[in-house]
Amino acid sequence: MGDRGTGLLKIAGITTLLLLLWCILVWESPLSFLTPNNLENLLRRTSLYGVLGIGVAFVIISSGIDLSIGSLVCLAACLLALFLQVDYVPVGQVEVWQVRADASTISVAAEHGFKQGDELWYYKDRRNKGLVKVVDIGDTELLDGKSVTVLTVEPPPKRDQDSREEKPVGKISSTFDVVNYGGNAAELENNAPELKHNDKILFVHASETPREKTVDQNGEANQIILTDEDSGLNADFRAVPIRKTPYMSIPLALLSVFGIVLCLGVIHGLLITRLKMQPFVVTLCGLLIYRGLSRWLTNDQTVGFIEYQETLGKVATGRWETGIQFMPVKVDPTDDASSWKLVWDSAEGAQMFGIPYSFFIFLAVIVSAIIFLNLTVWGRHLQAVGRNEEAARYSGISTHRITTLAYVLCAVLTGLGGVMFAIDSNSIAPSSFGNFFELYAIAAAVLGGCSLRGGEGSILGVVVGTALMQTLYNSIVLLKIPDELEFTIIGAVILFGVAGDELTRMLAAKFRSKEA
Amino acid sequence: MPEHLLEVDRLSKSFPGVRALHQVSLTLKPGEVLSVIGENGAGKSTLMKILAGVQPADSGQIFVDGKKTSFETTRAAMDHGIVLIHQELNLCDNLNVGQNIFLGREPQKLGIVDSREISRRSEEFLKRVGLSVSPQTIVGRLTIGKQQMVEIAKALSVDARVLIMDEPTSSLSSKESASLFELIESLRDQGVSIIYISHRLAEVKRLSDRVIVLRDGEHCSELIGDEITHANMVSNMVGRDISQFYNRTPHPIGETVLKVNQLTTPHWPQHPVSLEVKAGEIVGLAGLVGSGRTELLRSIFGIDRPLSGSLEIGKKTVQIRNPKEAVHHGIALVPEDRKQHGLIIDLSVQDNVGIAGLQKNANRFGFANFQRQKSDTDTMIDRLGIKTPSARQIAKFLSGGNQQKVVLGKWLSMAPKLLLLDEPTRGVDIGAKQEIYQLIEKLASESMAILFVSSELEEVIGISDRAYVMHEGQLTGELDRRELNEESIMRLATNTAEHKEAKT
Repeated sequence: MGDRGTGLLKIAGITTLLLLLWCILVWESPLSFLTPNNLENLLRRTSLYGVLGIGVAFVIISSGIDLSIGSLVCLAACLLALFLQVDYVPVGQVEVWQVRADASTISVAAEHGFKQGDELWYYKDRRNKGLVKVVDIGDTELLDGKSVTVLTVEPPPKRDQDSREEKPVGKISSTFDVVNYGGNAAELENNAPELKHNDKILFVHASETPREKTVDQNGEANQIILTDEDSGLNADFRAVPIRKTPYMSIPLALLSVFGIVLCLGVIHGLLITRLKMQPFVVTLCGLLIYRGLSRWLTNDQTVGFIEYQETLGKVATGRWETGIQFMPVKVDPTDDASSWKLVWDSAEGAQMFGIPYSFFIFLAVIVSAIIFLNLTVWGRHLQAVGRNEEAARYSGISTHRITTLAYVLCAVLTGLGGVMFAIDSNSIAPSSFGNFFELYAIAAAVLGGCSLRGGEGSILGVVVGTALMQTLYNSIVLLKIPDELEFTIIGAVILFGVAGDELTRMLAAKFRSKEA
Repeated sequence: MPEHLLEVDRLSKSFPGVRALHQVSLTLKPGEVLSVIGENGAGKSTLMKILAGVQPADSGQIFVDGKKTSFETTRAAMDHGIVLIHQELNLCDNLNVGQNIFLGREPQKLGIVDSREISRRSEEFLKRVGLSVSPQTIVGRLTIGKQQMVEIAKALSVDARVLIMDEPTSSLSSKESASLFELIESLRDQGVSIIYISHRLAEVKRLSDRVIVLRDGEHCSELIGDEITHANMVSNMVGRDISQFYNRTPHPIGETVLKVNQLTTPHWPQHPVSLEVKAGEIVGLAGLVGSGRTELLRSIFGIDRPLSGSLEIGKKTVQIRNPKEAVHHGIALVPEDRKQHGLIIDLSVQDNVGIAGLQKNANRFGFANFQRQKSDTDTMIDRLGIKTPSARQIAKFLSGGNQQKVVLGKWLSMAPKLLLLDEPTRGVDIGAKQEIYQLIEKLASESMAILFVSSELEEVIGISDRAYVMHEGQLTGELDRRELNEESIMRLATNTAEHKEAKT
């Protein structure tokens, strides 16, 4: 839409800059730059930041701005971690509300499923625990407003509960007979629940220390294979099966995160279009609010996905092997001269180049964004609104809806970026995760030819802009430029890039008027 | 002292794809009013911009007081006493009159702006232009006419010897225009030379000592004294007879398309307005600037939500809450401010023509239909005679008349039932004006209902089947074609029945 010529010129300009930088890196530091590992990393980082760049590009094209991206990345990451938090809960566990040694009773929450004769495992803390047998199940009664069932047990509990103790005063759960134990396999009684990979079993004994074991798989007929052997175990122990219970399943957690960021995007949009608040102010408040929320929700503790190494972890570190193997090596390893060559295929030292999975997500985002912006009605309307909102409104476009859509798209892509960053880093410190990401995203978009005046910008430009930013970062490491100068260099390159762009535009205008 | 204050020798200037000026020469004597007329795109604005230092010429020379000069900036032109007063005024709404007059040249005392000095000296210039407002008045609170006076006072404050006025009356009421003419005459008597650009030939005739006619960027002819007649000017500008200017053919009038019942707009909440427009009918909406006509159109089109009252489109009462719904009901609005509201000036002709129809022509997945957009645009370029190198041309490079045709093309591609036009020929040259009149005529004969706002009485009288007249937010009357004349309209527009003297 509009001036295609200058748009292409911009992309060509910044691509030249990127190629130039690559040439410098190949020239100066080929042995570290051209390794499959480094290139993969560059691709991964570009993909992660690129998703954010494309998000903010929509908002910039609508002639707005979104400063909340970094905090929203953090919030999305923290929410995902919280939603996927894992608890290990013994099967059929209920709370204990009162313990009386003299009457040898334990009052448990009324929704228990215990029967007379069951052997139960009572646990309060390391000193207050033990196996008890249900002698009698009493009536349900009210205790401090809770309905509880009084169980008469033996042996009697060791001591009364202290009235000052916090309630509940422990937990109690069913145990099952270990019919057979040998090697790393335990056979449980028939009515024991089926267990899955990564569930656990706590083996308890009247006199011995309990041992917790991880389940590898549930074999035939209650034959449970554990991950390791333990010679101290035998059939005298009783088993407390423990289920791994995530707060949410992975799809549900993802859906919830996207739902929440989408709502936040809608709120941004409505505040800006309906209350006529300035985008800068709205998203600045977002920046502060989401950061604070993230820290509060996580108690300012670092969160991660340790329990998900085999699912999310694999996506994060996963890559599609291209089959191309190479490695830059010195021509003569003993020679200090800087001559080098690439070795290919099965030559010694050559490594497989793989494309990170995150790149494929990025690719999908790029393609959808290009289609959306250029081929759909809404994309076109977005560009029109960015250029001249009034004229767009006078042409019968719902400018409020289109502007809101831009903020929603930005928030959703930020959420996606947040999820990708989260599983990539696997360690989210809520006070710093995502700091400055909005500025990286805006910088990449501006470098890629988006004008903060609105209505101008291309997705490809943003992609190249992001790649340039990440290559810059890479070159600071590889060329051994002092870390402290990182921001200075990135800032300077953006400044020169944009200044150069304006200069060529002026020259082009001059040239055109001369020509005619 | 040389005879000529200003002498221009063979100026040429080109833009991409357009030869704007070709070897144009002119001279200007002290205390002379020189009018420059010509169709839009004839090169008037370019010539003025070069004289005022807004843009440089490609070739040619400028002499001031016989000395060769060249202006790189407006500041340089000002230093030579040449000041351009733009069609769109260049004042800061948020500053007061005095601050505007001395903007950029504030008198200072020890580096601090001397407000008292500003007020004192401003009063002197305000007196010279005959404007009785305090220098402390915020400019945004003044009427357009008074703002223009402030702009002239500002020009005088830099000792302007040549005032270039580009369409100064285009947004003034007739009373304001009259006082502007008096001012121009008094300035002339004080020895200030004026270059006056206008499409309103009556004004040109009244004011000018000499008239230069530009056509297609070239100096076409020069008229002096008695030669300055309406017919002479028009035939020189367009090279054709004006007798067929408002050429009307009667056509049948059909059912009521729009009925406005007791509508009140946010700007004039105390005055409900009722009117109706029938299919095939051209209805004028006359009145002074600021009488509430634009606001009425905006409310009908859903830009401002009416406070009360209702609209009937084709006998059905409808709720129009935004322009989108108005378009849905077959209403189109060609707004007064083409560059801000009518067009997205940085986009191409095709993008502008196609913008309203994008949604309608899209497939069910929301993909835009660009073939349709292209063919619609080509149809409109043909049908309306839009002069553009291609559908890809950026709208801002077109002349005013062609830009207006692009706006019209946008709406005609939607085949509206009701066309609202707000000052459709404002800033449009005579040739394009006539084309627009013919187009309106043709659309009406195809039974489109047309409601148009115009401040040019001649136009209202020339093309309307019927006209409503507004005064300060209320409809003061309805005039049938036979009753339409300048006197009857002005009486209603100034509401002389109620007030002895109309407010401006």
